[in-house]
Amino acid sequence: MSDIIQATNIHRSFGKGDLVTHVLRGIDITVASGDFVAIMGKSGAGKSTLMYQLSVLDTPTDGELLVDDTDVLGLSERDRTAFRLNTLGYVFQDYALVPDLNARENIMVPLLMAGRTWESATATADTALNAVGLSSKHDSLPSQLSGGEQQRVAIARAIAGEPKILFADEPTANLDSISGQQVIDLIGKLHNEQGLTVVMVTHEEEYTKYCNRIIEMEDGTIVSEKKR
Amino acid sequence: MHNIRSLRIGLLLGLRQVQRASKWTTLLIIFVMMFTFLNLIAVSGILVGLIEGVERAVRENVSGDIILSAKSGEDHILETEAVIRQLQSYPEIEHYAPRYISNAVIEANYEERRDIGGERDIAAVTVRGIDPILEDEMTHLGDLVAEGEYLDPNEDGQILIGVYYLKEYAEQFGDIFDTVENVKPGSRVRLDAGDISKEFTVKGIIESKVDEINFAVYIPEREFRRVFNRLDRNADQIVIRTTTPELDSPTKEALVASGLSTYAKIQTYDEGKPKFVTDIKNTFNLLGTFIGSIGIVVASITIFIIIFINALSRRRHIGILKGIGIERRAIEIAYVLQAAFYALVGSLIGAVLTYGVLVPHFDKHPIQFPFSDGILAADPETTFWKFIVLFIVTLIAGFLPAWLIVRQNTLNSILGRNK
Repeated sequence: MSDIIQATNIHRSFGKGDLVTHVLRGIDITVASGDFVAIMGKSGAGKSTLMYQLSVLDTPTDGELLVDDTDVLGLSERDRTAFRLNTLGYVFQDYALVPDLNARENIMVPLLMAGRTWESATATADTALNAVGLSSKHDSLPSQLSGGEQQRVAIARAIAGEPKILFADEPTANLDSISGQQVIDLIGKLHNEQGLTVVMVTHEEEYTKYCNRIIEMEDGTIVSEKKR
Repeated sequence: MHNIRSLRIGLLLGLRQVQRASKWTTLLIIFVMMFTFLNLIAVSGILVGLIEGVERAVRENVSGDIILSAKSGEDHILETEAVIRQLQSYPEIEHYAPRYISNAVIEANYEERRDIGGERDIAAVTVRGIDPILEDEMTHLGDLVAEGEYLDPNEDGQILIGVYYLKEYAEQFGDIFDTVENVKPGSRVRLDAGDISKEFTVKGIIESKVDEINFAVYIPEREFRRVFNRLDRNADQIVIRTTTPELDSPTKEALVASGLSTYAKIQTYDEGKPKFVTDIKNTFNLLGTFIGSIGIVVASITIFIIIFINALSRRRHIGILKGIGIERRAIEIAYVLQAAFYALVGSLIGAVLTYGVLVPHFDKHPIQFPFSDGILAADPETTFWKFIVLFIVTLIAGFLPAWLIVRQNTLNSILGRNK
């Protein structure tokens, strides 16, 4: 399998002068296409910060980063936005749906931005909602859905555009254990059936059952890696 | 292509934001925009309307749509009777009235004054010789009789007096007018014009908001000709009312083309009106627009604050939208669209109120200013341009806060970090 993410000597620090905080200290990591990688660690270990760098949401202070063979650090902000749209999918901790749009429209927005027609975007959104088990909730607003259902809409939005990599930032953090398990099963199913590359930040070992690599972080460095 | 996509998504996001916003908040903002629009239109409209009210009254009660007067170097309109015969042949001329104008002195107390050397109660006046029927048809002079009655065309020795020549009416303006005292309908006055004097019975008192009407006495034209020895029948002025005011210029052109300009100077109302009237009107318009502009500034600040709070409270969602690949422009369009919606709906309601309620109301029930029946002057073209200004200012007020929030770092927005 080729490496879809190649990160070399990634540093990320915040603040200036004496108040600089080094959150990432020279991370080297590669992710092969089709991997399901879990990034784990205690609070403050730098796992979310690492995910933000790999997912092109943030810019490292130093280092090199190739994602899908693209030097993303050399892209303009507009190109980075377009790159995220066309290549990456995101699932955030607290679902991050647009409250004014119903479930279908939440999924349609990035599809329309990618140039799909209204009809095509509608059909794809409906298919994605059916795939995550929300066939009867197409017209529901986020406020009318449970936390687990909202997270499934977020997953449907993330996968509808057929991204090459899905980034999930503690996707179960705000869910009860049953909903959390359903969400992990859904992501695992997508990984297994579609060969989707997944990078997931999580606190909990029980949600790593689908992962083939588990990276443990501490104080901004990778301290161990398990492969299954 | 990207722009069209951004526009499409911006429209979707903006539309849904408006649809799902609190109805009371939306209503409140629309109310603010409506009052801003009304402020912009009504303040200058009433100021200009005040002058337009004067103009309307002058056109209605004094000058008509076209005025014929003596040519330069002539004392009177030449061949007046021939001119009138020609005027009668124009179907677009609805009414006309010839006027004879001169100056004289009226004396009020000549009967009571025993001592020939006693103080005479006199006033220098402008005398207008009129055809009572034609004048009333033309300017509705009969409607302006405040006391007594209008001239009877079959009676001789009757006179109408403008109120500014009567002390009882004019003293409210201070001791600035030349007036006579204790003159009422039925009183006898004497008109002295050079060597000729004639006694008249006061038939009525004329009162108008147009000074020119109040500063005149009116007698039938045949008596005028006798008193002032104007036996040539050449009038000083002929005023004309066309069937519609818009026909003033074409009719004037036709009169000129027919050769009437050989006998008289021919002007439309607009050509004949003093320049200072136009200047005052423009000044009031400017003043009204300036006052209305303050309303625009207030409205734009209101819109700015509303959109800013809205965008700030959705900062995280804006960050997420950017995070999942939505272009900044699409998000900015959504907020600009909201501002446009508020401006459009507010202005539309304002326009309906202006043209459906306020303008007709003030036309029927003018504001009673001391010197004018004030109307609401809302010229549609001016209104349109003021709306355009309001709309553009609102769009900018909607765009700026959205731009400020959207340009923030994507991850900081998602995480709610300030830096």
